[in-house]
Amino acid sequence: MDILKTIDAEGKWLTPGIIDVHSHLGVYPSPSVESHSDGNEISSPNTSEVWAEHSVWPQDPGFQAARAGGVTTMQILPGSANLFGGRGVTLRNVPSQTTQGMKFPDAPYGLKMACGENPKRVYGGRKVAPSTRMGNMAGYRTAWAEATEYKRAWVKYNKDYAAGKNPTAPERNLTNDTLRGVLDGDILIHNHCYKAEEMAMMIDLGKEFNYHSGTFHHGIEAYKIADTLAENKNCVAMWPDWWGFKMEAFDMVQENVAIVDAVKNSCAIVHSDSSTTIQRLNQEAGKVMYRAQEIGFALKEEDAIRWITSNPAKALGLSDKTGSLEVGKNADLVLWNQNPFSVYAKAEQVFIDGAKVYDRFDEKYQAVSDFMLGQPSVNQPMSSGK
Amino acid sequence: MKLLKPFIFVLACTSASAFYPSIVNAETLAITNATIYTATDQGVLTNATVIIENGKIIAVNADNADNADTVIDAKGQILTPGLIGSMNKLGLVEVGAVSRTRDGGDEKADITFDASIGFNPRSTLIPYARKGGITSNVVVPSGGKSIFKGKTFAVDLTGRFESITASNNAIFVDLGAKSKGSRAYDMQQLINKLEDAQKKLDKAKKKLAKEKKAKKDGKKSDKKEDKEPEDLKRDELIINAILAGTQPLVVYSDRATDILALIKLKKRFGINIIIREAADAVLVMNQLVQADIPVLIKAMRNLPGSFDSLHTSLNSAAILTAAGVKVGLLSTDAHNLYQLRFDAGNAVANGLSKEQALASVTANIADMFGLNSGAIAVGKNADLVLWSADPFELSSRVVKMWIGGDEFTTQSRHDALRKRYTTNSDMPRAYTK
Repeated sequence: MDILKTIDAEGKWLTPGIIDVHSHLGVYPSPSVESHSDGNEISSPNTSEVWAEHSVWPQDPGFQAARAGGVTTMQILPGSANLFGGRGVTLRNVPSQTTQGMKFPDAPYGLKMACGENPKRVYGGRKVAPSTRMGNMAGYRTAWAEATEYKRAWVKYNKDYAAGKNPTAPERNLTNDTLRGVLDGDILIHNHCYKAEEMAMMIDLGKEFNYHSGTFHHGIEAYKIADTLAENKNCVAMWPDWWGFKMEAFDMVQENVAIVDAVKNSCAIVHSDSSTTIQRLNQEAGKVMYRAQEIGFALKEEDAIRWITSNPAKALGLSDKTGSLEVGKNADLVLWNQNPFSVYAKAEQVFIDGAKVYDRFDEKYQAVSDFMLGQPSVNQPMSSGK
Repeated sequence: MKLLKPFIFVLACTSASAFYPSIVNAETLAITNATIYTATDQGVLTNATVIIENGKIIAVNADNADNADTVIDAKGQILTPGLIGSMNKLGLVEVGAVSRTRDGGDEKADITFDASIGFNPRSTLIPYARKGGITSNVVVPSGGKSIFKGKTFAVDLTGRFESITASNNAIFVDLGAKSKGSRAYDMQQLINKLEDAQKKLDKAKKKLAKEKKAKKDGKKSDKKEDKEPEDLKRDELIINAILAGTQPLVVYSDRATDILALIKLKKRFGINIIIREAADAVLVMNQLVQADIPVLIKAMRNLPGSFDSLHTSLNSAAILTAAGVKVGLLSTDAHNLYQLRFDAGNAVANGLSKEQALASVTANIADMFGLNSGAIAVGKNADLVLWSADPFELSSRVVKMWIGGDEFTTQSRHDALRKRYTTNSDMPRAYTK
């Protein structure tokens, strides 16, 4: 093969592109103005019919900032107000005027579900169901029972149609279309769920209705049931240290990710859920690695990097395409100036599908959102008096 | 008590005679062989020694440290002043979404609101914050509808019932963009309040001068109408203290126009102002330097979160510091207060020197709020942290820490939970304690 260009990376670190499995960039963009607050369709506890990609504002300056932090792929999810928040979309972090221009080709859709305090607070406050955790559970079960009937009707229709029976098609229902996608294994569950007992119930819920309970997001108490999560092949996306903002986030431990990771067949992920920390997922993973090392976990950089690359790729159903440096995978790469698990580390060059999308030392490769154009740039503030 | 008498003698003569009475019973602690980041003009001292007595630093780099009651060999590790948190609700909130654990605000709260009365030193957030080497903190109330949110107060992180070190070190004012109404109205309220109070003071001053003159001329004064200070309302006393420059205002403000308006206010009334957040500060940094106004900024705030904050970047701390603005790094989230050292590290990654970064989380904040901490110097509170390595790095940790000379642990409820779930037992977890 012909080598067109050679980059001397002596002394630098090369990692797979960083993947954030939980982001609201574009649906809760900067500036955070009412007109762009498009992440939570708080109008019914089941809004499986909405798709986050229909809310994404591709000009969110947060995409550029995340790219400078080495993020090449991210799942944009609806918020957590509803039991079923709607479909998430996996995006490449490439600048584009359209959301279609950012979509990860052939990535499976996600379905955002939410346990616990948020749905019961939002709807309980309106004196409609759910207003309790048991109400949450009843809401999921009712929806899955209906979706199961919906699927059955369509399967029967397709069968009869194939048999030349000229059947009448069931009525199309967008909400149940999404849920059926889950029952068929085409759409992956991404479940906002903090507490041990709730995650365990959501695993059982999947078994009851014959779908996989997917990836738990936020998973503050995952360390309490690390074995159960690994046995059931659930990925868990976690913060290194956020806590205390809700009762369900009170039992945080800084080693959560490492404890989940230590079990065989586990799938531990560090996620951001933030336009700020998505820029430093390397540091977020680093915090966990060092805290766990202090208490005797034999973790190394090659372990910690999986939490922000190959494990989120797995959770997104993209293991065959990205998340590791292997022959045949998409060339999603980050070149770091040093060990990326340092507070001083910086991504110097970022590549998506082999194309350079960011270069710290070359303005040509520093994209600027339309919104910031004509404003003094984020990184180059106007000097005083000019 | 086997401390070096000659040294104490010298100290007593040169500075504080206040050390004298306590000498008899005081235990002394010496930390030797440390790499000391002083957060003073002394910079970094290697193979250095600090001696602590009665909760205060009584010597830096003195001889005879071996004579202290306790000697700790730092083995070259880094010793810094304890970090200082600011502008958060530490001790005023336990769980954000649990309303009955929130005591930072009240609809009717005004300029006189003293949230320190509700401070809880037993909060689980406090030992957790110590993991980040935080030894003291400036708590801010969220107040009520008024732009005047109430009094900020300083606490140490001992967790003791006597944690409050200053119940009133600034008045917090919230200005800038709002979803209902105009920023102009809020700014006007602040201006009017100061203007009206100044008028009253001027009037009283004139009257006093007149009376003095009258007395001199042998005439009777009409004392009945004189308002004694005790007759002033609580809010009037506060405004007068602000006008006297003894009570600082800490003002939330982002947009350059608001910052310039505050600079004007300082010039006009001679008040003491600290600007919090100051997203646009880089646009008016020379004016800030001229007006000698310090800023408290968020190190990681680089997105245009609003139309008031289009000019904030990861470099802001470095740019402002280089221009001569005194910068403190904010830590507005009480639960994540421990992360302040990583914020400082990121500021270093974006242009600040390590010493400047340390000052921005210690001495600079102490200066703004008049705290006797934040630096390793004689007479300062012995709030000290010994680090395993670079305090700003993700990989380092607190080895030992002292608050007011007493050693404190960094263990918290979080460690108890982690231990429970990582300890093997043939009984249910609930029996592992």
